[in-house]
Amino acid sequence: MIKTFNTMSEPSSKESLIRYYCTAGNGMERFLIDEVKKKLSAKDVCQVSGKVLFSSSVKISRVVELKAAERLFLLLKQDSAVHLSAHISPAKAAAVLQSRLLGDRNQWTCALMTWNCLQGELSNRQSTTNTTNPAFVGESEEVRGNEGQTEKEKPNVDTMRNKGVQKEEENRSLRSGELNEKQTLEKRDMENKGVEEVREEESQWKEEKNDEQYFTETMKKKRKRDEHDNDVGEEEKEEGNAQESCSEESVKKKMTSNRQRVTAEEEQRGVPVDNSSFKNNDEPAVILGIKFNNRDHNKDFPVQKKTYGGSDETPLQSSKPQSPTVPVSFRISCKCTGSLSRYFSSQEVSKVIGVGLSRLMGWKVDLKNPQLEVNVHLSDDQCLLGIPLTRLPLANRCYIKTTGLRSTVAWAMASLAQIQPGFCVVDPMCGVGTILVEAAQEHKTACFLGMDIDDGQLKKANENVEFSELGNRIHLLKASSMALPLPSASVDAIVCDLPFGKKFGTKTNMAANLPLILTEMERVLHVGGSLVLLLSPQLSCLLKKFLAQKETGPMPSRGTKPATRIQVSPSPSPSSTKQQTFQIDQQANSPPIQETGPQCGPMHSLPLSSLTHQATLRVNLGLIDGLILKYVKMET
Amino acid sequence: MKLLTHNMLTSHVKGVVKGYPLLIKATEVKMNEVEFNPQFVSRMIPKLEWSALVQAAEELGHREDLPGELMAEYEKDEEFLKKVHRVLLEVEVIEGCLQCPESGREFPITRGIPNMLLNEDEV
Repeated sequence: MIKTFNTMSEPSSKESLIRYYCTAGNGMERFLIDEVKKKLSAKDVCQVSGKVLFSSSVKISRVVELKAAERLFLLLKQDSAVHLSAHISPAKAAAVLQSRLLGDRNQWTCALMTWNCLQGELSNRQSTTNTTNPAFVGESEEVRGNEGQTEKEKPNVDTMRNKGVQKEEENRSLRSGELNEKQTLEKRDMENKGVEEVREEESQWKEEKNDEQYFTETMKKKRKRDEHDNDVGEEEKEEGNAQESCSEESVKKKMTSNRQRVTAEEEQRGVPVDNSSFKNNDEPAVILGIKFNNRDHNKDFPVQKKTYGGSDETPLQSSKPQSPTVPVSFRISCKCTGSLSRYFSSQEVSKVIGVGLSRLMGWKVDLKNPQLEVNVHLSDDQCLLGIPLTRLPLANRCYIKTTGLRSTVAWAMASLAQIQPGFCVVDPMCGVGTILVEAAQEHKTACFLGMDIDDGQLKKANENVEFSELGNRIHLLKASSMALPLPSASVDAIVCDLPFGKKFGTKTNMAANLPLILTEMERVLHVGGSLVLLLSPQLSCLLKKFLAQKETGPMPSRGTKPATRIQVSPSPSPSSTKQQTFQIDQQANSPPIQETGPQCGPMHSLPLSSLTHQATLRVNLGLIDGLILKYVKMET
Repeated sequence: MKLLTHNMLTSHVKGVVKGYPLLIKATEVKMNEVEFNPQFVSRMIPKLEWSALVQAAEELGHREDLPGELMAEYEKDEEFLKKVHRVLLEVEVIEGCLQCPESGREFPITRGIPNMLLNEDEV
């Protein structure tokens, strides 16, 4: 089915229904579905592997504030999968691909108009003016030409958030570079293990970058990158699992990525650098291209509509730094999985579509600095084409200085805790405070208390709290999760990312301490209060065993139940990735597990017997999966 | 440490029964201007141990003529909410310590963050 857009309506119209899709980490889809329904009154919401498609008429400025999503795209086309017969010639196969994926000119023109319109709204949101006054258009372009240096000083969080994407670009700080590096490394790790499926089943947030294959990107270039990455490889592996921790290594690494970033920026400004060893090149470059031109399309497009394509291009404003000779420049970023990948590599598909689109629309391929990026995902289930609406993933938060746990997962945990106005929420092992910041952003009338035993973590948490200007709601103190300095039954919700043991001592320590930690959590919770924990699959097994012991002790007849409640496949190894993903899909398609654990039966007053299991959700944390467990304290 | 935090903290040294409220011995107190959010303050008031807050504010010399007893319909009194806001969120103990009323154990406050860690023999 070819989606039609309501793009012919006036560009300024806010009521038109626009179809988007977002990528989401494995296990995050359900949170994203809930979120788009709740915040964007989204219609026709559906989920395909790692993506959520939806239509909404809500302003783009609110769409880009989605918290559970990784990246946001304007949907170009969603269609059934392309199947090629076994003995088709390469030329024929290319023709089939082109005819199936490209469609007609009108579709592309419409999509481009919508995209321009949305980009316009996004940049309007960033400048203080809210109209399409041409005078301001020129001005804001100039600002952007300088990479928005002038806007850096704005102190107010709300302003920062309103500026959203743009602000993120300006603030493009260590973490984006860090993230890219991390992702590339994760990819490398998997490749090293030689597990081919792993690549296909990688989490979605990695997909967008890792599997983007720009068709002239040579293997040589890639290899160089990898070599470069090897320098910091070992530390990165440790870092990659979203532990909230920092060490000297990571500081070193930050400096490294910072240097890279600087170089990449220099490159954009025309300073020649050896770009082969830097991975950030392509991305910032794209954005500049997009930004410089979109306003003109926007402004001119009533006239443009008919003559679009070919060499008749938007008259570019003289103030524009971009070369005025180029029509629409684009590049294709393709991910190709399933049976189709046996005929074509992702690069080949990119090339075929790129050539086809160039012929169809008269647009120009520009790998380095395109105005438009077209993402293509071909799988056995479907074809999906879209244009990214923001340069940086939505998951990169402009209000967090030091990232610990993945922001989307932190947000999801907070949303599971069902925080209400006036709640007192505690994170007894807060690390750099990511969960607290994500939760406090969302809940303006609740109070948050973060604790950690590590001064370094607390210092970073404090910086995060100050940076996000949430100091009135988030309070920090140094305390042990095994001896909480809080009265019993004084807390409404607990959220906690239990350290997986990579940085904080050994796993056995964590495992040994788990009962005591849980006992303390249970003690300080009110009856009815929720406990949301993020654990490694191994720790989760332990926890459930531990709770099962408590249960089966006095109630031996319940012996079979705990087994069914454990949905954890023990110790994920690369070779079992396929199986895991299958499991994830299964879970993703079923509603959150609403089991009442057997512990609500008649019980003598064991300390943890009041904790009732509510849900287990598997989420991808990068290299490994984590399990979010939710319990509610019941009356005993 | 803000007084909102103080209001929630107890001494949890082994053998201590109540350990609340902790006494504040401040050597450095700062006033920060914090954006006033009346909803937040009125939502927090029912959670507070009111007498402990008044006592703590008194100790720091920032009582702001807060009444010893919480009055009815305080949520409609913006002036009152502003006073509570100031005491709860704007008064900040930067350096000093918190003392357990029962055991006398002191918990240091450094750079605004109280250290409530116990030694092994105190747990």
